[in-house]
Amino acid sequence: MPDIEFKSPIAHGPVSAPDGSVSLEDETSTTKVVVRAATGTAAAADLGVPYGQSRLRADGTLVCGTRPGEWTLFAAAGRATEVAASVDTDGFVNVVDVTHGRAMMRVSGPKATAMLAKVCDIDLTDDMAPDGAVFSGSVAKVTCDLLRSDWRGEVSYLISCERSFGNYLFATLADASTEFGAELPTGLDIH
Amino acid sequence: MTHNRLPVRPGEVIDRETSLAFTWNGRPHTGLRGDTIASALAADGVEVFARSMKYKRRRGIMTADHWDPNLSVQVGDEPNVRAGSRRLVAGMEVSAQNVWPSLKFDIGAANQLVGRFLSPGFYYKTFMRPKWLWHHLYQTILRRFAPGGRIHWETSTHGAYDKRYAHPDVLVAGGGPAGMGAAIAAAEAGASVMLVEHEPELGGHLRWGDAEDLTALADLLAAVQSHPGIEVLVDSTVTGRYDHNWIAVMQRSHEVAPERLIKARAGSLVVAPGLIERPYVFAGNDTPGVMLSGAVRRLINLWAVKPGSRAVVLSANPEGDAAIADLEAAGVEIVAALDARVGEDIVEVEGRGRVRRAVLGDGRTVAADLVVLGTGWTAPTSLLNMAGDRPVYDPTAARYFPNQLPDNVLATGGITGNGSTVELVAHGSATGTLAANRALRNRHERRSSTARARSPEGPMPESLQDTRVPLARTPHPECYRSSSHGMVDFSEDVSSKDLFQASGEGFDSIELMKRYTTATMGPSQGKLETVNAAAVLAEARSMDMVDIGTTVWRPPFAPISLGALAGRIFEPIRRSALQDWHEAHGASPLLAGQWVRPDHYGDPVGEARNVRENVGIIDVTPLGKLDLRGPDVAKLLELVYVNRWQKLEIGRVRYGTMVAEDGVVSDDGVTGRLGEDHYLMTTTSSGAGAVWEMLEDYLQTYRPEWNVHVTAVTGGLTSINVAGPRCRDLLLRLVEDVDLSPEAFPYFHVRRGRVAGVSGCIIWRIGFTGELSYELHVPSGHALHVWESLIANGEDLGIRPFGVESQRILRLEKGHYIVGQDTDGLTKAPSAGLGGLVKLDKHDTLGLPELRASYARTDLPVLVAIQTDDPEIVPMEADQIVDGDSNRILGRITSSRMSPTLGRSVCLGQVDPSLAAAGSKVTILLVNGHRVSGTVQEHHAHVDPEGVRQNA
Repeated sequence: MPDIEFKSPIAHGPVSAPDGSVSLEDETSTTKVVVRAATGTAAAADLGVPYGQSRLRADGTLVCGTRPGEWTLFAAAGRATEVAASVDTDGFVNVVDVTHGRAMMRVSGPKATAMLAKVCDIDLTDDMAPDGAVFSGSVAKVTCDLLRSDWRGEVSYLISCERSFGNYLFATLADASTEFGAELPTGLDIH
Repeated sequence: MTHNRLPVRPGEVIDRETSLAFTWNGRPHTGLRGDTIASALAADGVEVFARSMKYKRRRGIMTADHWDPNLSVQVGDEPNVRAGSRRLVAGMEVSAQNVWPSLKFDIGAANQLVGRFLSPGFYYKTFMRPKWLWHHLYQTILRRFAPGGRIHWETSTHGAYDKRYAHPDVLVAGGGPAGMGAAIAAAEAGASVMLVEHEPELGGHLRWGDAEDLTALADLLAAVQSHPGIEVLVDSTVTGRYDHNWIAVMQRSHEVAPERLIKARAGSLVVAPGLIERPYVFAGNDTPGVMLSGAVRRLINLWAVKPGSRAVVLSANPEGDAAIADLEAAGVEIVAALDARVGEDIVEVEGRGRVRRAVLGDGRTVAADLVVLGTGWTAPTSLLNMAGDRPVYDPTAARYFPNQLPDNVLATGGITGNGSTVELVAHGSATGTLAANRALRNRHERRSSTARARSPEGPMPESLQDTRVPLARTPHPECYRSSSHGMVDFSEDVSSKDLFQASGEGFDSIELMKRYTTATMGPSQGKLETVNAAAVLAEARSMDMVDIGTTVWRPPFAPISLGALAGRIFEPIRRSALQDWHEAHGASPLLAGQWVRPDHYGDPVGEARNVRENVGIIDVTPLGKLDLRGPDVAKLLELVYVNRWQKLEIGRVRYGTMVAEDGVVSDDGVTGRLGEDHYLMTTTSSGAGAVWEMLEDYLQTYRPEWNVHVTAVTGGLTSINVAGPRCRDLLLRLVEDVDLSPEAFPYFHVRRGRVAGVSGCIIWRIGFTGELSYELHVPSGHALHVWESLIANGEDLGIRPFGVESQRILRLEKGHYIVGQDTDGLTKAPSAGLGGLVKLDKHDTLGLPELRASYARTDLPVLVAIQTDDPEIVPMEADQIVDGDSNRILGRITSSRMSPTLGRSVCLGQVDPSLAAAGSKVTILLVNGHRVSGTVQEHHAHVDPEGVRQNA
């Protein structure tokens, strides 16, 4: 379906502070594949990442230990079939493409952690959520999966949530970013 | 206007080069940058700042800090601003609050004439009878006396309030010498520190101290400010300590919000609030011009304000003595220096708008305009009490001291004892080191046990022993009350005489007395009056203070605005992939739970009619959708649904109902079998989350041996119902890989294929509308393309989108019930009309025992279709069904609409079983009181009960 555009639930473009202290981008088109694999299966061994941690595979896929026995694989847009096929499904293993079902956004910059601290009660200090950490929690009252994924040498988080919350969550994070100088795009106002 | 500004003082915090113009009760005034509202007004000669709550007595500066009970003012549209600590800003419009008609002439002052009738319990005793007057008279009048300023909620210029979370290792409450010492030591030990000070500057009493104090303060400030591990919050108050060191901090005057609530989870809490100076009780002790020693020292040394001309000073401690020195340095004549340590006393102050004379304990009367009291200290143990401590009174030091604290709460500074600056800082430093050790051990433990955390680099830090040398308890006379009666609670206008009376009436325990008299219940929240109230009660009962106890300190330590508690209001809104299209095409929004949905596109009846005649499409994405995979899915379905699932074939869908363990209908939906071990379950929109949780609960706890994976795919699959006699014609134009003929794809079957070029779509034939219909579940990133393709290709077929309201009409015509509308929290399966769907002979089903019991009963209500005998009358939903002309309730209408298909009203209702038979006559009591008759129908379906249309 190369001619059918993938539509993100997020209606607005990037938001950033002029001094680069925080920025927010839509990453919903990222391929997202959830693998559930029972202990002892080849898939569980291959994926190999413990719960709460992540690693970048040689093929460019980021493997996240999202929950015990569950992994989420992130890859460039349009790679869902390929990524799903890379999983050994022998045994009690299931692979579900959730690319369409999860909105995703990236929050970056030296003030990214301070911005998230306005909407998320998780301890985001470097010790408790270092680069590569995978965790779940409430962000502005939406259940999200978070990945600390430092980017271009600065602190960065990938946040994904159920697709239908995507626009709300993006607008809310943009609003929280205004404390650090970000300007809201026209038409984006949560109040 | 009098100008009380002094020449330059060594520690002053004002900028004499920057004048700030503002108004006070409409009149222009000028202050200096660094002034508080109160200091600026005092410098300009203002003496009366407020009227007291009950008697409307004139009130002036008493403590000149954040806790001053007489300095709550209105600033613009912001009520209850603490003028003792709020820094002056140019252009402020400041006014007295709770005065009428003005601060100078307040009619309420007449209450002083009848004060003896306004004694404790006045409200309880006076406004009891007659009851009806409460609403019509008492309430209206009493509201005029309610303290506090005015809110302007319709024209407020306040910005949004805010919240943030924090996870410091050590949180230090109090930024005086001990608190700063603790913060520095904790940070040097490697802990992250949050240092919270309720005044706008760090330093505590050093700020208004002598040269040695100022030097020490400068050194401490430099150390704090240079340490990257310390976050300093000034003009902020720690308002509560909760379990596991969950600590609430209220941050005022932040640049992004007028107030911000910080929810901190700290490894250790260091409580270093210092001491709060205590007033002394005697006649006239609330007269403007009666100030505590700290107040005059702050006014003179911080803001260079001369507090009076002729002063009487009653001192019981070195701080009181220091006030005498400061007053003399400021050019104030000391007309009497009384030493409470040798029994000297003050009995009465005379004057209304300002102190005129003071009657001393030796009988002398002296002319004075200022009375300064240095008579004792209250330990603000609130945060310690919240941590479970019960502080103990020490009569030799005349104050309470901490007793037993949990390991993660430590106290330091004046609250624990007396000492020089060096001793206070040393104690704070030792406390900070200990607090850091405990917090870092806690962090080590958390890092070791949290999957995502970085593993600790080294072993657990050794536990430090508490080897702190306690600060001394300097003897202090117990100065509580003179030989006369005076004010105890300045916020609530409660006097020592009132407390004696309450004790005499039997309210003689501290907790009873508090509630009866409201002492300690005003905005001061006990900071100035708690100990005096306990002392007066002890005196009234001839008991020792040790035995009288104290009231319980609960959060918040200081009043918090509701705005700060609310913070940012997060209300997540869910939108389908098509919601933008709906809004662009005139959809009226309907908020259904968190979802915003199209209620209709302007003509719900026309939209419904079009579905019966042509073809309509509706966005039903909010339907809960769960992807179920694994060899044991059928067992799970068999457990959670009341009907059978073991033999559902691949390519088939089936309707199912769920009940809770009490047999009450909880959810329903359709589940299709997509492959050998692959199913797609739909739930109600509102029940999606609960059903998912319930399935996981059963799989993880009760049936961990079952191999089933559940994945929520509600938002990932956009659901479009295509309904109407011409819907097959439409889909034939867009669907590939699927034979849509009735023979190949009959009712209650499912197929997978491409729709409008989009692969991975799931199509099933079901019908909530009663028409031939297909439900498309489309990958959401491509859903708009599919929807627009349907609209474009259905134009010649008369396609129209329809909304939730049209769907409600159509489903009611067809007699489909909605869980939660036609059932309620007590509706068991037999009452939902489930009939033979429920299989009571199954091995196991959630709620099976209750189901069996409920099916054995004959008294449960029954869901029936009802037709009003007058076809034009549409009863309201929830109208009652009654027994003839009586008001005996026999049921209720659960759904009702005018049917565009039939041209008459259609209803569903829950009725008594005696009325359930077809043809039974019912009486419906309308909201307007009229009664109309109706007839119970044979089928739930008013339209096409045989199902010819949906099976076409």
